[in-house]
Amino acid sequence: MLPQFSLHRVAQTLQKDPYFGYLLVLPLVVWTLLTIVYPFLDALRLSVFNVGYVGTAGRFVGLANYSKVLTSWEFWHTTEVTVWWTVLNVGLQVVGGLVAALVLNQEFWGHEFARTWIILPWLFPSIVLATIAKWMLDPTLGVVNYLLLHAGVVKAPISFLGTPGWAFLSATIVNAWHWFPLFALMILAALQTIPKEVSDAAEVDGANYWGRLWYVELPCIAQVLYVIIFISSLWAANIFDVIWLLTRGGPGDATNTFPILIYYKGFQEFRISEAAAISIPLFVLLLLYGVWYMRRYMQQEIEEPAA
Amino acid sequence: MTAVKVTARYLSVFAVLAVVLLPAYWVVVNSVKTLPELVSPTPTFWPHTFTWSNYVNLFNQIPFVTYFRNSIYVAFAVTAITLALSGLAAYSLYRCRYRGRDLLFKVFMSSYIFPRVLLLIPLYVVFTRLRIIDTLTALVIVYVTTIAPFSIWMLHAFFTEVPLELEDAAMVDGASRFQVLLRIFLPLSATGLAALGLYAFLMSWTEYFFALTFIISDPHKTLPLGMAQFLQEYSIDWGLLMSSSVIIAIPPIILFAIAGRWFIKGLTAGAIK
Repeated sequence: MLPQFSLHRVAQTLQKDPYFGYLLVLPLVVWTLLTIVYPFLDALRLSVFNVGYVGTAGRFVGLANYSKVLTSWEFWHTTEVTVWWTVLNVGLQVVGGLVAALVLNQEFWGHEFARTWIILPWLFPSIVLATIAKWMLDPTLGVVNYLLLHAGVVKAPISFLGTPGWAFLSATIVNAWHWFPLFALMILAALQTIPKEVSDAAEVDGANYWGRLWYVELPCIAQVLYVIIFISSLWAANIFDVIWLLTRGGPGDATNTFPILIYYKGFQEFRISEAAAISIPLFVLLLLYGVWYMRRYMQQEIEEPAA
Repeated sequence: MTAVKVTARYLSVFAVLAVVLLPAYWVVVNSVKTLPELVSPTPTFWPHTFTWSNYVNLFNQIPFVTYFRNSIYVAFAVTAITLALSGLAAYSLYRCRYRGRDLLFKVFMSSYIFPRVLLLIPLYVVFTRLRIIDTLTALVIVYVTTIAPFSIWMLHAFFTEVPLELEDAAMVDGASRFQVLLRIFLPLSATGLAALGLYAFLMSWTEYFFALTFIISDPHKTLPLGMAQFLQEYSIDWGLLMSSSVIIAIPPIILFAIAGRWFIKGLTAGAIK
């Protein structure tokens, strides 16, 4: 006689370890395979064809796209801009976050309010961010130019988003303003795990503010800072919204980072394959950076559940 | 403590808060000015005129309601799917034992190294083939993909906090693993799920990059797409942009007021340990 099929039996079997664990993680595994792994392989395929418009069939061209891309001035210029953009953003975000966290970590009236709502800029969607920035930096209506003119700092209004150097700096500051509160809160949470006795003991031993900061507080939060620098650099290298909304990569190509270049190649010039061939080297670059950084600075291990 | 020290302390706090709050104040103030005052070359730091017309115009001059509805739909769908997928996966990774678990965890975490732009092009091709390009479904799919890995990381702090004894006790009492998960475990980690929900909502509510490429027609545009058109016009209608900015920023602010502290906990706990 055939064993009777019973849903209940199936359910019971599945609920036994280890199948239960596999069962629960399965949906996300499938999702990841379909939306990350498959597209990645498809990007590899596209990069060795010569597809222009999406949907058209390309011809196999081998590594032609790569050699074209890697020998172009554009690619290396974009690399330079992206590196500068990332370094400057990480610097401003981490230093800004650290300063804000140290300030908010003091005892003062209203500290709960301040420690919560410092997050405000991070809650602003990129479109709101871009609106505020464009409005404040406008050459004729902007409040920044108004204040600079009236304080006598400048003689004529500055076209913040219209001149290459200023545009790069403005976009960087706007983006850093968006992100630093998040890191400030993370650093603040880390600072608050430092036992008060440690800091007090250092004070008794005669350490001044900077001494305590350098020898006590910073070493205590070093691990968090490493994580933050890592996240912030990966995120900064991937920023598209703020740059596109403010400058579209311009003026000229002053703010042309990789996400902008790839979008532009693929969806404005309709060279999908070339765009794919640019994104693969970028991926390799980020991967190498990620592996190196995690080996060097982070020891993130999943710990065993007790059972 | 000396008076100098107290003054310095409050001055530093004011400086930090000014950097954060003044631009926000500037948008709110300008959203209720009348047009002549708004575009006057001498800005007024406190409005001399007052009008709601910038807000009213959102509803009768542009399809703001459509954009808003699309954004809300996407945000809710993404939040629901992310909660289900990442919640189950995180339980599996943090509470079950099986071969390959560590590897899976590493794979999920390293998916953050994939640049979004790398996924953009092939996903566009696939979605075109599936005929879901220019639909909100395309956005929901890709947002869940970008949000899920970090969600797992966030849940760590909450899921490892629930005492194992509770689960064991329930199982001794004859509850199945699935019942334990649904009736005991998930209610106990509700704050973690709230934090995750907040994160998913914030990330999908006004995402711009994928929306810009995947959405073409006006009835499917989300808020950032709809409003970006006005930001890039030759003569910008600042009144509309000010009032829309205020409205777009309100849902994230309300949600953060509710679940913000758990979100921060989830964010930091992983990094602190």
